[in-house]
Amino acid sequence: MATRMKLKLKTVFVLYFMVSLLGLVYALMQLGGQHCDCREHMSVITQLREELRRLQEQLKKSGATKLPPKLPAKPSLPTIYVITPTYARLVQKAELTRLSQTFLHVPNLHWIVVEDSPHKTPLVSDLLFKSGLTYTHLHMLTAKDRKLQEGDPSWLKPRGVEQRNEALRWLREDRRVQPGGDRQQGVVYFADDDNTYSVQIFEEMRSTQRVSVWPVGLVGGMKFESPVVEGGKVVRFHTGWRPSRPFPMDMAGFSVSLKLVLANPEACFDGEAPMGFLESSFLQGLVTMDELEPKADNCSKVLVWHTRTEKPKMKREEALQAQGLGSDPAVEV
Amino acid sequence: MPKRRDILAIVLIVLPWTLLITVWHQSTIAPLLAIRKERLAVRHHRLSDDGVDGKREAGGQAQDSKEYCASDRDIVEVVRTEYVYTRPPPWSDVLPTIHIITPTYSRPVQKAELTRLANTFLHVPNLHWILVEDSQRRTPLVTRLLRETGLNYTHLNVETPRNYKLRGDTRDPRIPRGTMQRNLALRWLRETFNANSSQAGIVYFADDDNTYSLELFEEMRSTRKVSVWPVAFVGGLRYESPKVNAAGKVYGWKTVFDPHRPFAIDMAGFAINLRLILFKPQAYFKLRGVKGGYQESSLLRELVTLNDLEPKAANCTKVLVWHTRTEKPVLVNEGKKGFTDPNVEI
Repeated sequence: MATRMKLKLKTVFVLYFMVSLLGLVYALMQLGGQHCDCREHMSVITQLREELRRLQEQLKKSGATKLPPKLPAKPSLPTIYVITPTYARLVQKAELTRLSQTFLHVPNLHWIVVEDSPHKTPLVSDLLFKSGLTYTHLHMLTAKDRKLQEGDPSWLKPRGVEQRNEALRWLREDRRVQPGGDRQQGVVYFADDDNTYSVQIFEEMRSTQRVSVWPVGLVGGMKFESPVVEGGKVVRFHTGWRPSRPFPMDMAGFSVSLKLVLANPEACFDGEAPMGFLESSFLQGLVTMDELEPKADNCSKVLVWHTRTEKPKMKREEALQAQGLGSDPAVEV
Repeated sequence: MPKRRDILAIVLIVLPWTLLITVWHQSTIAPLLAIRKERLAVRHHRLSDDGVDGKREAGGQAQDSKEYCASDRDIVEVVRTEYVYTRPPPWSDVLPTIHIITPTYSRPVQKAELTRLANTFLHVPNLHWILVEDSQRRTPLVTRLLRETGLNYTHLNVETPRNYKLRGDTRDPRIPRGTMQRNLALRWLRETFNANSSQAGIVYFADDDNTYSLELFEEMRSTRKVSVWPVAFVGGLRYESPKVNAAGKVYGWKTVFDPHRPFAIDMAGFAINLRLILFKPQAYFKLRGVKGGYQESSLLRELVTLNDLEPKAANCTKVLVWHTRTEKPVLVNEGKKGFTDPNVEI
């Protein structure tokens, strides 16, 4: 019995040993053949890359731009209504493009674009549609006698007045139709299409109760213009040009709460106001200086710049067009 | 004797199992290690915040003695910083990295330009911004700006020697602006990336005052050697563009200004595959003796021929980049002493 048992044990041992040896050999083969595995993985990777390329081509064909989805609207954040007057010129598409790229970073932003045009242009319509932003597209033509002519200096006539007023009119109409407590929550900001905005300025203005103000860079012939804050209140304005104005600020230097805009339906921009008084013509009826809310760290930081874009030189284009050889007008620039 | 046998038996039982386990353990770890090493080659690991800032190298320019002044006065400070990802889209392991080289210099609109450029770049996945300042040392303005954007960046600087710069900022015809800075970035890329590594990358020269659509970056991602597309507002035209034939090959240039240049294209009109840059380590922008408009050709002719160019943007029929220029702000009211608080950064 003992020997039989011993025999059984021996076979068990031998079997066990063989099995584990086989297993070891298999494992070694796995390790040794790692490259084979990698190759499999590599082929899968190249397959996936091909798929990706194909899908990208498809996307391009369908004309969709590869934009990230716009930020989801957060119900608790007040909406910022950004009013931008714009007009057709060579750099318009470029300006609106880079503006939209900044706005895409701001949640709960509603872009109101008002064209100085008798009708909506396809360039702006397409751009807004593809931008991924929440927007309203309006248009309002400036009367001929109010319009700047070729060769006029930019300060001769105020620009964008009719367009901003049209946007205010639309906003008031839209809110009237949709009443409700939280529909009155919001902030209105006038953003020209050639300025530069940091993302922070929008977060600063969101908490506006009446009218908030902050410094603007590269304006008024200075590095920056700014309200002067003492004890948390605006006491005067730091500007190099006509500081006696009621509100010597640039359009980009303040924002108004929607409540205030709706409560004062007559408040709008006065196109007849003397040069530099455009902002004052709007703000005068709305707020007094000590009611202003200073932002941007008590008006010590510059978060928006009044940049201007050069008019591109078109001498050669004009020469070609005179010969009838101008660039393809179907290619949108 | 039986004791020895028992021991032998136990050893024989345990040994294969231990071997098996170690082998199996190794086999699961090894592929992960391979990926890790690759990642390290691309990114420097995120170091602690208290200031391990990177290495500093100050050295002469022995290898570039052709391009730069032979004297040792041209000392280049190359400072490397680590990558930080926060707000940009999550890094993808499949998309090739776009290395954007931007030379910049201090002037009133600099912060505004870099701000809106950063706002654009924050939408592009797998973007690495190489910002090269034309300055003796890295300025705090740019350092802070880069850090706050949350972009993946490298901050370099090299000063264009004074005798090459004309007074004021009129363009010096002898040394095109930004050349030394772009060359430094190319050198950095060659020092950082190994030609043999499988890192897919695209190199694009983006000036800080141009305007870029997001579509452009997706177009350039599939560059195999050098890809080209139209650019608006250059050469006195609405746009300049490569001429593409029915076979999809570039055969000429639709420009008025010297269309017979080897590459009659603006800096913003082409992108180069990183492999090509690494494969031809002697290719740089020519520093001196370059005629106006020939700077791009001075680099491209060392890398590709016309036949190799890949037209993008729907066979060069769409404009996805605009050569905008920002007006110099009129600061008359600052006066001689400066009216505004110099401590406020603009």
